[in-house]
Amino acid sequence: MDARVPARLLWRDWKGGELSLLVAALIIAVSTVAAIAIFVDRLQQALVVESSAFLAADRVVRGSRPVPQEWEDRARERGLDTARTLTFSSMVFGPERSQLVSVKAVTPGYPLRGSLAVADAPFMPGRDTDRLPEAGEVWLDGRLLPALDVALGGVVEVGNAAFDVTAVVTREPDRGGSFFDLGPRLLMRYADVEATGVVQPGSRLSYALLLRGSDGALEAWRDEIGDDLNPHFEWVDIRTGSDAIGRALARGESFLLLGGLLAVILSGVAVALAAHRYSQRQHDPVAVLKTLGMTPREIQNTYLGSLLLLGTLATTVGLLLGWGLQGLGLIVFADLVPVYLPAPGWRPFLVGGITGFICLLAFALPPLLRLRDVSPLRVIRRDLAPNDASMALAYASGLIGSLVLLVWYADSLVLAGWLILGTFGTVAVLMILAHLLLRTGRIIGMQAGNSWRIALSALQRRRRENSVQIVVFGIAIMLLLILYLLRTALLDEWRNQIPADAPNHFVMNIAPDEVEPITDMLASEASGSDAFYPMMRGRIVAVNGEPTRDAEGDERSRLGRERNLSWTWDLPAGNRIVEGEWWEPDETEALISLGADYARDIGLAVGDRLEFDIVDRRVEARIASLRSVDWDSMRPNFFILATPSMMADLPATWLTSFRLEADEKQFLTRLLRRFPTVTVIEIDEVMAQVQRIVARVTLAVEVVLSLVVMAGALVLIASIQSSMDERMREFGLLRALGAGRRRILGALVIEFAALGLFAGVLAAVGAEVTVWILQEQIFQLPGRLHPGLWLGGPLIGVLLIGTIGTISTFKVVRTPPAIVLRETG
Amino acid sequence: MLVARDLEKTVKTAAGPLQILAGVNLEIKRGESVALVGASGSGKTTLLGLLAGLDEPTGGRILLDDHDLTAMDEEARARMRGRLVGFVFQNFQLLASLDALENVMLPMELRGDRDAAAKARELLERVGLGSRLDHQPRQLSGGEQQRVAIARAFAANPAVLFADEPTGNLDRATGERIADLLFELNREFGTTLILVTHDPALARRCDRALTIDAGHLLPEPAASAAAGG
Repeated sequence: MDARVPARLLWRDWKGGELSLLVAALIIAVSTVAAIAIFVDRLQQALVVESSAFLAADRVVRGSRPVPQEWEDRARERGLDTARTLTFSSMVFGPERSQLVSVKAVTPGYPLRGSLAVADAPFMPGRDTDRLPEAGEVWLDGRLLPALDVALGGVVEVGNAAFDVTAVVTREPDRGGSFFDLGPRLLMRYADVEATGVVQPGSRLSYALLLRGSDGALEAWRDEIGDDLNPHFEWVDIRTGSDAIGRALARGESFLLLGGLLAVILSGVAVALAAHRYSQRQHDPVAVLKTLGMTPREIQNTYLGSLLLLGTLATTVGLLLGWGLQGLGLIVFADLVPVYLPAPGWRPFLVGGITGFICLLAFALPPLLRLRDVSPLRVIRRDLAPNDASMALAYASGLIGSLVLLVWYADSLVLAGWLILGTFGTVAVLMILAHLLLRTGRIIGMQAGNSWRIALSALQRRRRENSVQIVVFGIAIMLLLILYLLRTALLDEWRNQIPADAPNHFVMNIAPDEVEPITDMLASEASGSDAFYPMMRGRIVAVNGEPTRDAEGDERSRLGRERNLSWTWDLPAGNRIVEGEWWEPDETEALISLGADYARDIGLAVGDRLEFDIVDRRVEARIASLRSVDWDSMRPNFFILATPSMMADLPATWLTSFRLEADEKQFLTRLLRRFPTVTVIEIDEVMAQVQRIVARVTLAVEVVLSLVVMAGALVLIASIQSSMDERMREFGLLRALGAGRRRILGALVIEFAALGLFAGVLAAVGAEVTVWILQEQIFQLPGRLHPGLWLGGPLIGVLLIGTIGTISTFKVVRTPPAIVLRETG
Repeated sequence: MLVARDLEKTVKTAAGPLQILAGVNLEIKRGESVALVGASGSGKTTLLGLLAGLDEPTGGRILLDDHDLTAMDEEARARMRGRLVGFVFQNFQLLASLDALENVMLPMELRGDRDAAAKARELLERVGLGSRLDHQPRQLSGGEQQRVAIARAFAANPAVLFADEPTGNLDRATGERIADLLFELNREFGTTLILVTHDPALARRCDRALTIDAGHLLPEPAASAAAGG
């Protein structure tokens, strides 16, 4: 066979517009997936960079003794960047006054992620800097300058050494993680620590090795160090580093993933529909080609070749378009979130490309392969169509393709499993419902006017095709509703995660006799102050009489770690008992209540007896209850709460939280001047950072949603187009028989609106069920009903399908019936 | 050239098996022109489909140029059609996306003929469409489309030409001109012609007419009578 024949056929089909829908569907599939993949990739990189700033690194090894030099050397051998920090509390002396500060000594290179900000005067806005204090210099927290009565250029003493104060440090990326790191900051060179002589055996020190590099190298290094890390060191990444951000990230990623998956399924359906229509329109030409001597194998190779060519073309265009699309998204949303996103890697392009070809093979190829089986006898008998066996192959291949894409793309069998189960369960139920709805429609239609009768009898006549269409429309609308609902639920939850009036400052180290005056001061000068909690540090030394040093591995290191303890008669706000019972007032037994997650992690249960070492005293207590703790509330929370009777005679300090607006910061100076030994932690910067991350994830969600809407619209058009020939023929006939344009148009509007209504009803049912399951199972949000859906689903269906359907078929009304009949023959 | 022995065709329907053709025996010589006539639903189009190798019989044998079509699979039958058979259909069956010239070139190109374009141009001029080479089928009248179809049918220089109601979709005058053209070219190319028609006038122009009645081939004298001749 001359190779020019297939090329010419393809070229002519292309020029004749036969392939437009198929190519458009493929391009949309690839570009949607590529855009989402590129965007998610860039966003993830940005989020990781942003989030890593919380650690000032990608990973941190933290412990109470120096991290072995050998570990750092090995990290450098693997190409990782490193820096060290040492944090400890110390008294610092100004000319007149002294103050307990939190000293952080850092090596050059710090911070590996994020940046320091400095100012030239206290409580002034800071500017980013990539410098560090020089040798012999320190940078001070703004509050220290009034507290020590020193100005920039002045001298302070730390231990045996004197330092020049050269800047006010207003932000450090890894501030605010741990309660251990308290007190106003003094930043200095790591190498200067020795001269101070303050690091003595028994000092409370926190050493950290900061690491930056590729995930692969980091994990490899982690594996190489292995168990040597325990029990003295802790491995920290962003997810363990900050609960709130870790969860926001995880949910954001799940959502983007889900959006991507839905876009793939929708585009796949559009590709399948378009390919199906193209294949149907090729039946006659193929029959002719067969009579002219083209063998089934030649037919197959011709269409396979064409498809691969188209696929390559569509994939290339799709990738470029995807790239442009996400760029456009960024421009559109630039005002909303002015962010810099790193350039994408090659992976999203690969993902887009592979998706294109899987879509092609699974959804477009089967209908075209059926052409192989078109009987040449069709040239004299029009009604012959390929047999059902090849149809089954088409469905099976689409199914397998979806599965492969879902599993590959979701990278989560659970998520993919739920989606597949949901989709197929829905299809089965929807098919039955669609059938019933169409039946009802006919009964109503029989009593209705003229256009109605034409429309509803048309619906009824193509009952099988219409059931399929209703299901396709229904699923498309359902997916949109699901995505919209999840987006709303997620955004609301994120917004509510940190209430607007949440406390943004903590005061700790409050002596018992300071509680009352500080309460008065807060009441008169700050808003939203919380209750005061007593606090002390203690360690679990025995569980049910067995010393914890005998416990195994990770559990041991977690069990034996020093923790903050508090005691109270009342269950704190935001806490909920999940097991056991909260104690009665005046309980005399020594009881404790543990955070449920904490208890699970270290393998403790209600009824276990624990022995604590608190300030060198042994105290025994029984676990009375487990609590769920809302860590996002930004109020003081404790893993371990005890009955006051157990703790009352132990020496404790107190802590509380309160809210200060940005222009009220001077209050801190007054507070610290009056109570120089208390420690204030500002978490407003941390909260602002969380909100920035949430804003970025939100942006991503919006972009993904709009892309999925596009894919959905394409499915609708593809689906309507696939029934166009038959509709054209029918309405051409009706018009030839004398039905007026108005009546035909009326019938079209009613037919598509009815299809849309049925689809919308089904979509509402499906979305409600799926969202419930997804919220409960994947996003761990409580499920709830959405009454708005029951109105919104059908309304969207009627408007969307009514409009797109009528516009797509409007040609029927405008073209003279003779031409319609001749062309559709 | 073409021999059918005990040809049978039965199809499955909802009401049970339905016999469309039964015990058909015929022999058509090289260069002969034969009309298949009969009432609607008598089975003549089915017989044409079987003889041309477009369909498989449920019983009997067909020999086309001494090749047993009934022993071949679709792959081999398609090659056989490409080599030996041409078609003209009632509804023309031109490829809508190709222009007149390309439609005529198609069978030659499928065979790998290098001179397809020149030969096609010549043929189209021969059927009087030399000025409409680049017209798409929908830009041509019914009669013109059928001329293109006839040019295409002869393009591959087939041994046997099957025509299914070639004038059925055309008005009388156009139909007659098309019939003239068909027979003219048939003579020129020395092709064996097998033609299904309702038109007694067209049937009379063939060397002989075979009548199908309810799936059975009637003896030839009766056939001539049924054909109105």
